[in-house]
Amino acid sequence: MDGASTSQILQYLITGITIGSIYAMVAIGFNIIYNVTDIINFAQGEFVMLGGMSMVLFHVILGIPIIIAFLFTIILVTLVGLIVDRFAIRPIRQPSVLTLIIATIAVSILLKGIAMFAWGKDPLDLPAFSGRTPIQLFGAVIQPQYLWVIGLLVVTVLILTFFFEKTIIGKAMRACADNPDAASLVGINVKKMIMLSFSLSAGIGAIAGIVITPISLMEYDRGAMLAIKGFSAVILGGLGSFPGAIVGGLLIGIIESLGAGLISSGYKDAFALIVLLGVLFFKPSGLLGNIEISKIKRF
Amino acid sequence: MLKISKLNAYYDTIPALKGISIDVPKGKIVSIIGANGAGKSTLLKVISGLVQSKNGQIVYQGNNIANLSPDKIVRYGIAQVPEGRQIFIHLSVKDNIHLGAFLYYKRRNKNDINNRIKHVYEMFPILEKRSQQIAGTLSGGEQQMLAIARALMCKPELLLLDEPSMGIAPIIVQEILAVIKQLNKSGTTILLVEQNAKAALEIANHSYVLENGEIALEGLAQELINNPKVKKAYLGG
Repeated sequence: MDGASTSQILQYLITGITIGSIYAMVAIGFNIIYNVTDIINFAQGEFVMLGGMSMVLFHVILGIPIIIAFLFTIILVTLVGLIVDRFAIRPIRQPSVLTLIIATIAVSILLKGIAMFAWGKDPLDLPAFSGRTPIQLFGAVIQPQYLWVIGLLVVTVLILTFFFEKTIIGKAMRACADNPDAASLVGINVKKMIMLSFSLSAGIGAIAGIVITPISLMEYDRGAMLAIKGFSAVILGGLGSFPGAIVGGLLIGIIESLGAGLISSGYKDAFALIVLLGVLFFKPSGLLGNIEISKIKRF
Repeated sequence: MLKISKLNAYYDTIPALKGISIDVPKGKIVSIIGANGAGKSTLLKVISGLVQSKNGQIVYQGNNIANLSPDKIVRYGIAQVPEGRQIFIHLSVKDNIHLGAFLYYKRRNKNDINNRIKHVYEMFPILEKRSQQIAGTLSGGEQQMLAIARALMCKPELLLLDEPSMGIAPIIVQEILAVIKQLNKSGTTILLVEQNAKAALEIANHSYVLENGEIALEGLAQELINNPKVKKAYLGG
């Protein structure tokens, strides 16, 4: 532990921010659905997995150019999100939040099974977008793909901010989150907004899956762990808060990376869970969560 | 304009409305008074589609709108100002008002929507001052004004108001009642539900008294004010 030099710490930080960007995207996906429906969507990790796997299918196996494959993947996974809502969420009669959450667990198992049959059990690789020649920075090594991950998080956040703050559909989704009955009274079709929230979350999950695959490969059962990390980020940042999701995601990534580097890489996956438990014990509203809101939340 | 006949509604198995029949003629103010739990709010919620009815009819301009979903009923030109305001507390005042015009939110309607926003700001100048503020930070009276403004953004022909005077300073109640009268003068038909029976009888043309989910009395508002039973039960002797 005392052997860690500045450049090593820097390396851990950079790796942490990269992986944290992925967790942040997963966390944003959780929050979009949570804000409109009060559901924690346990299939969120599977959207990420499908994103990575579909990209491999389109780009590597079918040889489609990277930008078109990127678009195809997002469209495909967005459609999966839409189908999940249409056939797993909406048909449930007298839905309680708990039954809906259990339905998302079923969906996650189903998607995992389908992916296993479609792509097999071996991890799949995707070429990095801009090659794998590392960039040196103060003794730390930066993969060009790291920059893609961080850059796409920034772009995603900017687009989403514009969507939720400036467009009427985005505002209507926030209105549903605020007060579904009142939203329906001004003519908003709440069911459509729920469908949109699932599609949007799936699309964002797909982006995360596409950019992370060249760094850490992708296999059919990766979704659960990504979902747990993303969920920890959500709770750390404050359930429902977008800035919280970003801060939470980056922090979980950095804690995990530092923990693995300085303590033991064997406990890599434990750090997020320790943080999750810590937050739930000591500050359940999270870092940026609203205490007032956390009081009236059902979970 | 709106004709409700033999309407029943239940919460699970408990009857909330028992064979209600009500007539709201075009251009009038009709008020419904009654105690807590009499079924007043339930009746409005059934009309706007938030609560399902069991049998009976709700005919609006020749169409049976019973049990349509709320977002479809708004399209007929029926807007509800719900009980307890129900504004979008985390959104700005401006966004709340814009969302009121959600159904018409297309580029080609931009001028029309801007004119309507101007119109509601003229009606409630305080809202224009507070337009950038988060709606949850408004006072009770301002929130009620915002709820009315939001409902007016969809150009309703029939406005359903659920307890607009609840929890509001008397002076603001007067202001809101004045706005309701003014709206009515400019052609909006109004169905008003109130516990504040005096106010509701004063501005209405026709009134119904609801008790335990049934119509106990009905008549011209002027006559009901002088009805000894109404006086005793609702106007404090």
